[in-house]
Amino acid sequence: MRWVILSQGIAILGSSLVFPFYLIFIKEVGGGYLQYGISYGLFTISSAFVHLLVGRLSDKMGRKLFLLLSSWGMAFLVLFFPLVAHVWQIYALQILLGFVGAMQKTSEKALLADVTKKGSRGVTIGRYHFWTSVFSGVAVMLGGFMIDLFTLDIIFYASSLILFGSGFFVLKINEVREKENENGKPKAENTA
Amino acid sequence: MNIIKIEKRLRRNTALLVMLFVIGGYAGFFLFSLQQKDKEDLLMNDAGRLIPVKVKEVAKGQEEEQIRQIILEAKKNGTKISIAGMQHTQGGHTYYKDAVVLDMTSYNKVLKVSKEEKLVTVQSGATWADIQEAVNPYGLSIKTMQAPNIFTVGGSMSVNVHGRDLRYGPLIESIRSFRLMNADGEVIRVSREGHPELFRLVNGGYGLFGVILEADIELTDDVLYKSSTEWMDYRDYPDWFKKNVLDHPDIEMHNSRLSVAPKHFLSEMYVTNYYKAGDEEGEKLEDYNELQDETYVRRNKFAFGLSRNSDWGKNFVWFVQKQAFKEGEEKWISRNNVMRPEVQFLEYEGKNDTDILQEYFVPIDRFPEFIDGLRDILTKNELNVLNITVRYVPSNEEAYLSYAQDDMFALVFLINQGRSDKDIEETGKVVRKIIDLALDMDGTYYLPYYPYPTMEQMRMAYPLTDEFFEKKREYDPEERFMNEFYEVYGR
Repeated sequence: MRWVILSQGIAILGSSLVFPFYLIFIKEVGGGYLQYGISYGLFTISSAFVHLLVGRLSDKMGRKLFLLLSSWGMAFLVLFFPLVAHVWQIYALQILLGFVGAMQKTSEKALLADVTKKGSRGVTIGRYHFWTSVFSGVAVMLGGFMIDLFTLDIIFYASSLILFGSGFFVLKINEVREKENENGKPKAENTA
Repeated sequence: MNIIKIEKRLRRNTALLVMLFVIGGYAGFFLFSLQQKDKEDLLMNDAGRLIPVKVKEVAKGQEEEQIRQIILEAKKNGTKISIAGMQHTQGGHTYYKDAVVLDMTSYNKVLKVSKEEKLVTVQSGATWADIQEAVNPYGLSIKTMQAPNIFTVGGSMSVNVHGRDLRYGPLIESIRSFRLMNADGEVIRVSREGHPELFRLVNGGYGLFGVILEADIELTDDVLYKSSTEWMDYRDYPDWFKKNVLDHPDIEMHNSRLSVAPKHFLSEMYVTNYYKAGDEEGEKLEDYNELQDETYVRRNKFAFGLSRNSDWGKNFVWFVQKQAFKEGEEKWISRNNVMRPEVQFLEYEGKNDTDILQEYFVPIDRFPEFIDGLRDILTKNELNVLNITVRYVPSNEEAYLSYAQDDMFALVFLINQGRSDKDIEETGKVVRKIIDLALDMDGTYYLPYYPYPTMEQMRMAYPLTDEFFEKKREYDPEERFMNEFYEVYGR
């Protein structure tokens, strides 16, 4: 569970650094509230379809792969933001971010369900959300602080690096072992 | 066993390779993004933020030889050069598409202060603030400069600024001589005696004749002033001004402000006079001549932000000024401190809108008539005027592009406008109406701002327009020194 929390906490830290400050960015390339609404809507709608797909695929291929794709994919995509000059480019990026965002959300939940069991599930999920929320809150404040201190662009680079780094923590997740741990088998057997 | 081992190793190597590929790819793209971003930063703009243009590069010169190399290199490659100081001109005067922008701000040494001659020799990238720091200890002061002190000497000469001292006309009056580097990298010493024509062209020449290297600028004494404020109706201003200001040689500096608050729209004004203090009053310059820096930036920025967005805010700001500048209240202040007023709070970075300047000159006696016409235009049209200050400019026609053919009142407008094409078009319509009004009053307008005026308006306000641009091509036949202003009006 440790690696799940750590990897997702860091990934959320990375993405929370950027997301609340979208509005400023959209204004910078000449958009207003309408464009903000559209781009957020596009993000959500594009993610909707990927939720279906990822749900099914991750049952077969494992959740870890999609968490990894999400972290690295997002790390790659946010690097485009400092280069954006038109609103349509933001729309395109939002659609792609919707894809990778959905990979994270569905896989995260499915993984949590996999590795928990009825009766103690609440405790684990509560603990998971406690840490990820803390990471997210810290990131938002940090993001505001960094923009004030430097420029808006810098948070995209910082966010990208953090997201990329979170991928390595995802790699440490061992889905099989997590499941076995949670199902109550003695640890000694697993490591043998 | 062996096969399993080999398989394991193979798998590990593949994983390693994939990992390296991912990390390499990511690092590569990360650097690419950073590099591209830097290129975007070459999208240049000036303080008006209405003319974004991509330039080739920004070059800084700290030594004369470096500047020469930049010019010769541009000549060899056939690139254009634009010259920039603080970039507070607002019509693209300091840059040009695909040009090398010569940023002069690091060529900024104050070379020599002569107390006896009352003369300062300074590199053109130095700001008025730099000069004030250097000359204040000698008890000296600048004769003519803008109200704020943030501008470079080179930029100020290129727009031939006027000041608030009643005794001195535009900056050209206090320039004794300067060194100019032309398009061939040669240095010419320009003065009224040697190269008189260039002297009249480069002052108010908008950077089209060469790079101003150093200038000898005349100074005056730093003295102690007593400032006092009076409130009046705009219709009384010209007569009052002639009787109470011009006829009083002890008043050396003067400025006034016209209300843009809806409650007193273009009717109420207040004037501030700076009297030279007599010895009998018992106050000493030494007690007041430490240079002051700006305070309360955030507070003032906030109040000004209110007036940007609402009529209520404009009324409020005018009300505050009424309390702050009560009639009859007197204040002691050194001349050098008068010439470094608060300005930082005016900096505005709105993403969709921007604060721009406009300036119109009208002969003194026609001031009330101009204001009536202005009120008419501004009530019928949409224009968010935030502030209007009024100054006196004695006539001076030395520079080719002189704006004061008569003794004039200069009205400086601060206007908030949107940055979209439509906003620019709308503002342009109103501005051209105001310029027509000024021209009808035998007045003129000032050139350092957004190219709203038509070519016709420029020719009317500046009768030597065509000669000026012909001279430009005579002195710089390859048009090495280029900017967006010349592109619009000169070609």
